[in-house]
Amino acid sequence: MIVETFVMLPLVMPPVATGLILLKIFGRRSPVGRWLYDLGVEVLFNWKGVLLAMAAMSFPLLVRSARTAFAEVNPRLEQIAATLGAGRSRIFFAVTLPLAWRGIVSGCLLAYSRALGEFGATIMVAGNIPGKTQTLSLAIFSFVQLGKDTEAFGLLLITIALAFAAVALSERLARSRAKV
Amino acid sequence: MLLRCRLPLARFSLDIDVSFQSRVTAVFGPSGAGKTSLLEAIAGLRKIAQGEIEIGGRVLFSSSRNIDRSPRDRAIGYVPQETSLFPHLSVRKNILFGAARKTGGDNAAGFPLDHVVELLEIGHLLDRAVARISGGESQRVALARALLSHPQLLLLDEPLASLDIGLKERIIPYLRRVRDEFGIPMIYVTHNPVEVLSLADWVIMIREGRLVAQGIPREVLMSGMVVSQLEKDQLENVFDAVLTGSDIEGGRSSVRLESGQELFIPYMPGAVNRPLQVGIRADDILVAIKAPEGISAGNVIRGIVRNIERAEGQAILRVEAGEAFYVRLTYSAIERLRLAAGGAVFLIIKTRSCIVL
Repeated sequence: MIVETFVMLPLVMPPVATGLILLKIFGRRSPVGRWLYDLGVEVLFNWKGVLLAMAAMSFPLLVRSARTAFAEVNPRLEQIAATLGAGRSRIFFAVTLPLAWRGIVSGCLLAYSRALGEFGATIMVAGNIPGKTQTLSLAIFSFVQLGKDTEAFGLLLITIALAFAAVALSERLARSRAKV
Repeated sequence: MLLRCRLPLARFSLDIDVSFQSRVTAVFGPSGAGKTSLLEAIAGLRKIAQGEIEIGGRVLFSSSRNIDRSPRDRAIGYVPQETSLFPHLSVRKNILFGAARKTGGDNAAGFPLDHVVELLEIGHLLDRAVARISGGESQRVALARALLSHPQLLLLDEPLASLDIGLKERIIPYLRRVRDEFGIPMIYVTHNPVEVLSLADWVIMIREGRLVAQGIPREVLMSGMVVSQLEKDQLENVFDAVLTGSDIEGGRSSVRLESGQELFIPYMPGAVNRPLQVGIRADDILVAIKAPEGISAGNVIRGIVRNIERAEGQAILRVEAGEAFYVRLTYSAIERLRLAAGGAVFLIIKTRSCIVL
């Protein structure tokens, strides 16, 4: 329950606040950050930071859809699989997972779209370094700030195309699942 | 085979203590008697509070000896009413799902795939998706899946209940073949006496979780007590309802069906919201295509004809009116009224034709 709530937090918190928390956790002065630093891993202000911020922000969406997908699997089918001699892991891999996978994939797409638009947490954790940590969203922001509207508009089109593809695919999966 | 079990259900507790040595044992009783719960308890899908289950000398459950085998280890082929085929697998993968099992004691039956497929005539379905086969085919596939899982006992839950009348007659021979070819003990749940007589050599009759009678089907089904029960089972329309009001002067009470449909029944004392079951013979329902006026019957219900099944001069109409009503008419009535699926009709039911069970 506590873990669940914790994972869900980024969904409701301001992204900048989530970014700040990540910054504090992975900063060199924190135990986690120091431990990673000693291992030679630095996550802040490079591509790993971008990844970290995006993952933290979009993970709750994936968890939500995956949980719904698993809950929608008819428990009767799992029971029958047991009477046919299947053990727990076989039931999971041969029945539950295949029946839930569309929901999981559509959750991944949703998470992907969320990550695409991630701004606040990324800028806190990874900064906005062109060619290094500048994401699509951050680049649009920078171009607009510099008055380079043409470049911003080009990126906007790419964003729309990606988002459209993700939503369309996710809808398609949801619909074909409804048929089963 | 020894079945002694007690388990609490929603409305009553199932309390059965029987032992029998038969090939096909029918568990017979009205819907809601606890038949399916009993099968689930045997299969290990429902927790038993107290009791013993022993099949062919193998103890599957014993509260006194603290034995409770998991469904996986019980070697029981359970065919549930809704068949529960795996929707993401082909027919072939479905029937082979349990084939790898080798557990289940020494005399666990292992039947060759070809033989089962041939016997149940499902060879042409093997590469189809489960969604593309009919109800009767699903039943045969589910039966094949259970047979191929090396079971020591088959549990069949109303395998014919969801099928149309014509299909039923086509499935019974398959069940007989399974019985005669494989010699595997079966427990067969049904509320239909014809199925009991045509398949079983022992019958256990239960009602509200209790054993009412057991014995050789012909003898049990002909005993006086059972005959009155059978008459109830002849009612094609049985609805769960709650009492909503009583008028002793007027000689009638009203009930509400699960769909919300109100129905007048003969006077019935009792508190409001008292649950009861109402039965109506398919022969006792009149059909009109216009709203009738000035009639004595207490119930006029609007509905849509969903299905007309014809056989030997008569027809069974399935009319959707919140609940599904079955109506038996002569063939000529169908033609005179030009009844067809999708048409709107009015069902006229006399108050006194509604029988409280």
